[in-house]
Amino acid sequence: MAAGETVRKKWPNLDVNVLLTMLIDELTQVNKKLDSMVELNGKMLKTQEEFLQRIANQSYRREIIKLEPDAMTLLFLPRSLRKTVMALYKLKEATAEDLARETNRLRAVESASANQLVRMGYLKKKREGRRVYFYIE
Amino acid sequence: MKGKVISIHSSRGGTGKTVIATNLAVTYANKGLNIALLDLDFRAPSLITVFSKGIGGPVKHWLNDFMNGQCTIEQALINVSEEYNLRGRLLIGLANPAIEAIQNMIGKSRAWEVTAVKKLFSLRSTLSNDMDIDRCIFDTSPGIQYSSINAVISSDVSIIVTTLDSLDVKGVQRMLAEFYDAFEKRTVVLMNKVFPQTRIWSNGRQKELISQMEKALKHPIIGVIPCYCDVLQAERASLLAIEKLGHPFLRNLEEVAEKLEHIE
Repeated sequence: MAAGETVRKKWPNLDVNVLLTMLIDELTQVNKKLDSMVELNGKMLKTQEEFLQRIANQSYRREIIKLEPDAMTLLFLPRSLRKTVMALYKLKEATAEDLARETNRLRAVESASANQLVRMGYLKKKREGRRVYFYIE
Repeated sequence: MKGKVISIHSSRGGTGKTVIATNLAVTYANKGLNIALLDLDFRAPSLITVFSKGIGGPVKHWLNDFMNGQCTIEQALINVSEEYNLRGRLLIGLANPAIEAIQNMIGKSRAWEVTAVKKLFSLRSTLSNDMDIDRCIFDTSPGIQYSSINAVISSDVSIIVTTLDSLDVKGVQRMLAEFYDAFEKRTVVLMNKVFPQTRIWSNGRQKELISQMEKALKHPIIGVIPCYCDVLQAERASLLAIEKLGHPFLRNLEEVAEKLEHIE
């Protein structure tokens, strides 16, 4: 037996047109809710993506936590990074080459160490012509 | 080395750090060197008392003001050489003993401490190039705290003053292993207040003691100064290098000063 006949037998006075209208209304409201859920989910994904992007380029961390290379903090840094900060205390601002002269290490080592400290938020760097200077803010 | 910066430090108080710092400064100045002696113990300032006779009037600028960027180092230093009739110039930088000043220095931020250590690092060139200073001595606060570690890391040589007391020795051992070695500073240990009546002196075991201590601390011992009763009895604020010329304590200190000259 078809579903329509069962309904008609059970509720002989039921107007099928009214029932359909009610169903369409219900479906329209469900659709609206689904649309807003999809929109909200899209917004959440976008925010999450932006957040991950900011963490990836370190800007977020620098905005909320200002890292200071004070003497106590230096104690907990790896030896090679600590040496670079100590040299910068003395030189104020320096290129990787200046740092290498001060620490008696290779320029490449100082460049890697200083850039790592920049990524960690302890140092800043600026470009002047072809030279890159590292400094403690 | 012109403008060499020497920090005097200890693991605990009462080892004779300030007596060593002040008398070493006067010993150098007596030899004709130009000296700057800075009180970096902002929590318990003492140079103001030691040099009270030589200051000659109210202090216009404290070392605190220099550290806070409120005056230059030239303004914060007081020349006391004439008062003590010294051959060289002795300039002293005093920490402010007022409670508000101490409170102010205790509550500093980490950002301020970074500026402070940078200031101390740049002192060497200002003192030696602009003020013709031969040696700068930092009298620090005991233990590991910002004011002392800033002084230690910005100096060329550190002298850790210790007694033979096991608390002192253990404290120095820990400080050397956990702090000094991390910064790879040139460090020597000065043993002070060693009782002369002990078997160390009577049996001529001084060399043995030095070698044992060097082995335990893994750093050179620059000198062993006996405990002189009259030094202990004298006011800690008295200046032996002025008041008791020829005292054996000063001869010990001269030997230390001589050895320091060979440390680059």
